[in-house]
Amino acid sequence: MPENSETLRPMKNKIKVYRAMHDMTQEDLAVKIGVTRQTILAIEKGKYVPSLDLAFRIARHFNVAIEDIFSYEEEPRTVMVD
Amino acid sequence: MKKNTFYLLVGCIAVVLLGLFWYSVEGDNPLVIEIAFVIGVIAIYLARRVVTDLIEDERSARITEKAAMRTMQVFWVIFCAFSIGAVIRLLDTPVFPAGFPPPFHPLPSTDRAIVFSPLRNFGYIQLGLLCLMIFLYVGFRMYYARKFGDFETDEE
Repeated sequence: MPENSETLRPMKNKIKVYRAMHDMTQEDLAVKIGVTRQTILAIEKGKYVPSLDLAFRIARHFNVAIEDIFSYEEEPRTVMVD
Repeated sequence: MKKNTFYLLVGCIAVVLLGLFWYSVEGDNPLVIEIAFVIGVIAIYLARRVVTDLIEDERSARITEKAAMRTMQVFWVIFCAFSIGAVIRLLDTPVFPAGFPPPFHPLPSTDRAIVFSPLRNFGYIQLGLLCLMIFLYVGFRMYYARKFGDFETDEE
C-alpha cells in the first residue's frame, strides 16, 4: 500500500514561532480559527498535515503569507550518474 | 446543549433501551426493541447536532473517516468469509431437515433454553459480527487518533 502524505510528513511549519511572537497559547489560536487545541498541537509536532483551507486560515490570522508559516521539504533525490 | 448533558442523555437512552430489550425478551415481542432502537439512535443524532461545546474539526473528521474506511476494508472480508461458509453449509444440505420450517406457535418455556432455531443462530452470529465491527472501529480509531497526535502532550 502506498504511503500517504501524512506518513511522509515533509511539511514543516513555524506556528510555534508565530504563536510566541503574538504571545498566544495553543488554546487561543485554536479558538480563533475554530479547531481544537489538540489539532494545533498535532500540526506543530508534525503529526497532522492541515488542509489548504486551515493552513490559509492560520496564515491569515497571523497576517502573513502561507509560505511564511508552512514549508514543504523535498525528499532527497537519488541522481543516476553514468 | 452542553457536552456533559449530551452524554447524560445518551446514558439515559441506553438505560431505557436496556429496559425495553428486557421487556421484549419477556414479552417475546422483538418489534418493541427494534422500533425503540431506531428511535433512540435518531434521538442521539438529533441531540448531537445541538451540542454547543463539542468541536469537531477537520482532524477529528479525518480520524473518523480513516477509521471507518479501514473498518470496512477488514470487516467486509470477514463478513464475506462467514457468508461463503454459510452458503457452503446450505449447499451441502441435501434436503431440508424434518420439521422445517419450525412451527410458529411458541414453544414451552422449558424447551426455550435448549432449542436453537436457524433464525436464532443467525441473530447471534449477526450480533457477534456487529460486536466485531465495533471493536475494529474502536481499535482503528485509537490507532489513527494516536497517529494524528491525539495523545500528544505539550509543555503548555
